[in-house]
Amino acid sequence: MRSDMLVSVLSDLSGTSADIEAAGVISTDGLMMASVLPNSMDEDRVGAMSAAMLSLGDRTAQELVRGELEQVLIKGDSGYVLMTYAGKEAVLTVMAKPNAKLGLIFLDVKRAAGSIAELL
Amino acid sequence: MSHDFDKLTHYAKSFSELTPEREALLIKVGEQIKPKLAGITEDFYQHLLTIPQASTFLGGRIESLKKTHTLWMEGLFSGPFDKTYTEHMYKVGDVHVKVNLPVEFMAGAMTLINQRLIGLIVETYGHDKEYCAQVLVAINAVTGMSLLVMQQSYQAASLAEELEKFLKISGMSRVLFTNLANAYKDK
Repeated sequence: MRSDMLVSVLSDLSGTSADIEAAGVISTDGLMMASVLPNSMDEDRVGAMSAAMLSLGDRTAQELVRGELEQVLIKGDSGYVLMTYAGKEAVLTVMAKPNAKLGLIFLDVKRAAGSIAELL
Repeated sequence: MSHDFDKLTHYAKSFSELTPEREALLIKVGEQIKPKLAGITEDFYQHLLTIPQASTFLGGRIESLKKTHTLWMEGLFSGPFDKTYTEHMYKVGDVHVKVNLPVEFMAGAMTLINQRLIGLIVETYGHDKEYCAQVLVAINAVTGMSLLVMQQSYQAASLAEELEKFLKISGMSRVLFTNLANAYKDK
């Protein structure tokens, strides 16, 4: 039930922008809770890698005195990966196209993360 | 962490060629050799004290180390060289990691011990060249087995220590690390 609601939030998020290619809600232990991923992507790997990157981002922000972590953004020549906390126990990961309008995506992801945190 | 010490014993023996015949020979000569081992230990520690890198690890506890060392050497001539022996040697390796002993110290120490044992065996059995050679081969086998087991333990303990450091630095939980590793297992 909750998983359906999470998928619904992710579907809404993906629907807000054609630039969003995939999205997932992951536990901070790296296990996928809900996802809207293309078949080519491995759910376990996306989950574990996202949680690991966010954890490392957290530590980096602390160590380099950047305050509380808001998000981790990775840019590759094939697009972006954006990770942010959705409450204290979940990670929201979004993958976007290389020419994505990041401002809008940041806003939508922030909203979605808030909704997910409430659901959890 | 649990280990299959039977398997490790077999593995270590496959390299060291510690055969049942050689084990029996070690036990047989033990009666004559064991009373002389305290002298070897004494000489061994005297030599370690001349190596600055080693002597720093000996401060204040050399007498208790000597006792432990002599007991271990007596074990080389007592047997049985089974999984209990392997487990004990594995723990010895672990202890060496905990006191931050450099990895080369184990091989270095075993070289010093073997050299002293060679002298003792030649002195004791040199009149019978064939028998003397058999005893030397048996000793080389049991010290080789011991070293191999300790190195396995050292490697595992060093990796575990490095992993702990990595988890602490990265902020990753052990569960997350396990999930990450599982996600990249061959599918």
